[in-house]
Amino acid sequence: MTAALSITNYGLDYVTPAGAIPVLRDVSLAIAPGEVLGLVGESGSGKSSLAWALMRHLPANAREISGSLRLGDIDLQALGPKRLTEVRGRRIGMVFQDPSTALNPTLTIGRQMTEALMRHRALNHGDARSLAVELLGHVELRDPAAVLRRYPHEISGGEKQRVIIATAFGCRPDVILFDEPTTALDVITGARIIDLFGRLRAETGVAALYISHDLAMMTRVADRVAVIRHGCVVEQASASEIFRKPQHDYTKSLIAAVPRPERRLVHDMPGSDVLLEARGIEVHYGRRGLFRAALPPATQAVDVDIRAGEIVGLVGESGSGKSSMARALIGLARFSGAISFDGRTLHGAGDMNRAYRRDVQIVFQHPDSSLNPRHRVGDILSRPLKLYGGDPSSVPRLLEQVRLPASYATRWPHQLSGGEKQRVAIARAFAARPRLVICDEITAPLDVSVQAQIVELLLALRAETGTAYLFITHDLNLIRQIAHRIVVMRHGQLVDSRAVDAFSSEDVHPYTRELMAASPVPVG
Amino acid sequence: MTELLHRMIRKPQGAIGLALLVVLAAVCILGPWLAPYGPEKMDFLGRFRAPGWQNWLGADQFGRDVLSRLLSGARATVPLALAATLAGSAIGAVIGVASAYLGGKSDEAIMRTNDAVMAIPGLLMALLLVSTLGNGAGNAVVAIALAFAPGMARVTRSVALAVRNQDYVKAAVARGEAAPHVIFREMLPNVMGPIIIEATIRVSFAVMLFATLSFLGLGAQPPASEWGLMVADARQYMHRAPWILIAPSAAIALSAIAFNLVGDALRDALNPRDDR
Repeated sequence: MTAALSITNYGLDYVTPAGAIPVLRDVSLAIAPGEVLGLVGESGSGKSSLAWALMRHLPANAREISGSLRLGDIDLQALGPKRLTEVRGRRIGMVFQDPSTALNPTLTIGRQMTEALMRHRALNHGDARSLAVELLGHVELRDPAAVLRRYPHEISGGEKQRVIIATAFGCRPDVILFDEPTTALDVITGARIIDLFGRLRAETGVAALYISHDLAMMTRVADRVAVIRHGCVVEQASASEIFRKPQHDYTKSLIAAVPRPERRLVHDMPGSDVLLEARGIEVHYGRRGLFRAALPPATQAVDVDIRAGEIVGLVGESGSGKSSMARALIGLARFSGAISFDGRTLHGAGDMNRAYRRDVQIVFQHPDSSLNPRHRVGDILSRPLKLYGGDPSSVPRLLEQVRLPASYATRWPHQLSGGEKQRVAIARAFAARPRLVICDEITAPLDVSVQAQIVELLLALRAETGTAYLFITHDLNLIRQIAHRIVVMRHGQLVDSRAVDAFSSEDVHPYTRELMAASPVPVG
Repeated sequence: MTELLHRMIRKPQGAIGLALLVVLAAVCILGPWLAPYGPEKMDFLGRFRAPGWQNWLGADQFGRDVLSRLLSGARATVPLALAATLAGSAIGAVIGVASAYLGGKSDEAIMRTNDAVMAIPGLLMALLLVSTLGNGAGNAVVAIALAFAPGMARVTRSVALAVRNQDYVKAAVARGEAAPHVIFREMLPNVMGPIIIEATIRVSFAVMLFATLSFLGLGAQPPASEWGLMVADARQYMHRAPWILIAPSAAIALSAIAFNLVGDALRDALNPRDDR
């Protein structure tokens, strides 16, 4: 039986003024009809370049140096522009990472779907439209006919991804490429998309190449998993096999880095005295205008306590108000309610004095935007030292504390990798010698292995300094490894708050249970 | 810096613009020494002499050598235009960044005032200021700088609004930094790119605005060899001796083109995504 998609000894370079950069080397993969192959790799491993090579949409400086790409009996590399438009979409479909940019914002959903269906299925307009309604109903969208009349900004991210998946499946291609289709969605929506994917592939028997960085999720969607590193496939095995008996060292390190709730990383108990006590926090954005009422608060009377040295996890899907809480606690957002810290009660950002601002520090989600690109690492770190009366000569010690060489002080942020930038951001927070550090989704944009190192670093710093953490995340598996207590938020309300040992008990809030079910626990 | 230069001269427009600018700078610095005659040396036998071996670009109504006047007039024209642009850009940039940082009602108040000032055309504004402050090159610089500031403030504010939402600015605010630190140290360096580009394009406007003011008799005063003034003087002899008019007009146009080309090249070179 011929493979639906076969890649043989494929090699790809990007030519830059500094010379050729190898992207893919000697990649050989085959996908049988109806099979789902998972391709796992960290950022920069070349997995997305492979998808673009298969779609024949490579940047102008790409050079294919060896190998062949075959879709069934078609040689993809030999296709001219005209034949290519017949193959794209019709024979090989693609689902992108970010649904918000994959649809044209100026056309209705119906227009975009029917255009693809008419083109690839040779239907007339009426047939295409009724097929579109049927397809949307099939991806569990309520009232498909209404969805067709809407514009992309009028439906949610999860719905957009369903529309894209429906279109891709509707053209009945032989193979569909999925490039991290759930990364841009929140946990619960992502989990539903994965369920949908499983059902659709069982019904249609389509073959798929599923690209992701998330090894734990792979075991749920793929039949076989290939692990790619620095452009080389290091290991291929069946999905259950790869978790139970990884062969290659790199695969083993990837699996070891996957957070598992049962493997606790923190063993001590927090102190008993309360460090920060937030009561009835309501975060307000915007002000009441002359003719319009104020926006409803982003959080509704939320109470949070943090004890000295305690790690509190704050979880919830996007839009649940968890980042608003962080902004209120560090004085970036207007809030009502009261925060008691160290015997003082604060009723607004204006009450936050220098001592409070030093004691409560934040680390932001995106290290790219939290470090000023025009300041050197040394300047970034010496600023809080000057502001809070530290010794500016202790920059090398700070860098060493976050396991970076002292020579990094003269570097610019853009010369560092994502993980290194996040270490600098952590060092900046610790330069103030804080008693509470708020970590706002700090591991979300990082690769699994880097994420594990950052978590390890945070725990080591806590052991050194006794700092408490408010750890905001949507990764339940990770937070169950490190937190003493977990607080769950939904639609701006606090729905659950309990010690981590009591988390798997029966009386948890139904929403908490739903969140837990959506977090992929690795099988095997 | 060398890399930036390299990227700029990669396209012919950038290379031409830079070459013109170098020539212009050389003329500004060495002009009086390069000139074959003194700028105000009259020769009554050579009135309205056509371009030839004696006067390469001809002579004017007093028999003064046009080329010599152009060469020595460059330093009265280009540096002043640059100074006016720099001053206007600096004022506008600070207003724009401060407005974006403060936000809310302060932002509204600053920008609406700014709009009101912008509603007055630049030339009218400059005319108004010069007639209040009195004639002279120095006052013309002030007038042009003030006429440029509101436009610059608008451009800067739009860039600064995006920077305001970056986490490093939030981090500085959360750290309890004072407003001047956030504005000057955190935000301003990150909006410099667009400001520099906008400024280079505005230099050419300033050259022309200067020429206009001198032409109207409000900038440099005769017998100065400022280019705009030269055009104004030559106007009445346009049919008898067109070269007196053409030479300074061409000089103004060429310097305007040079700054425009460099501005465009800089815009492309500073954009890291433009890597073709």
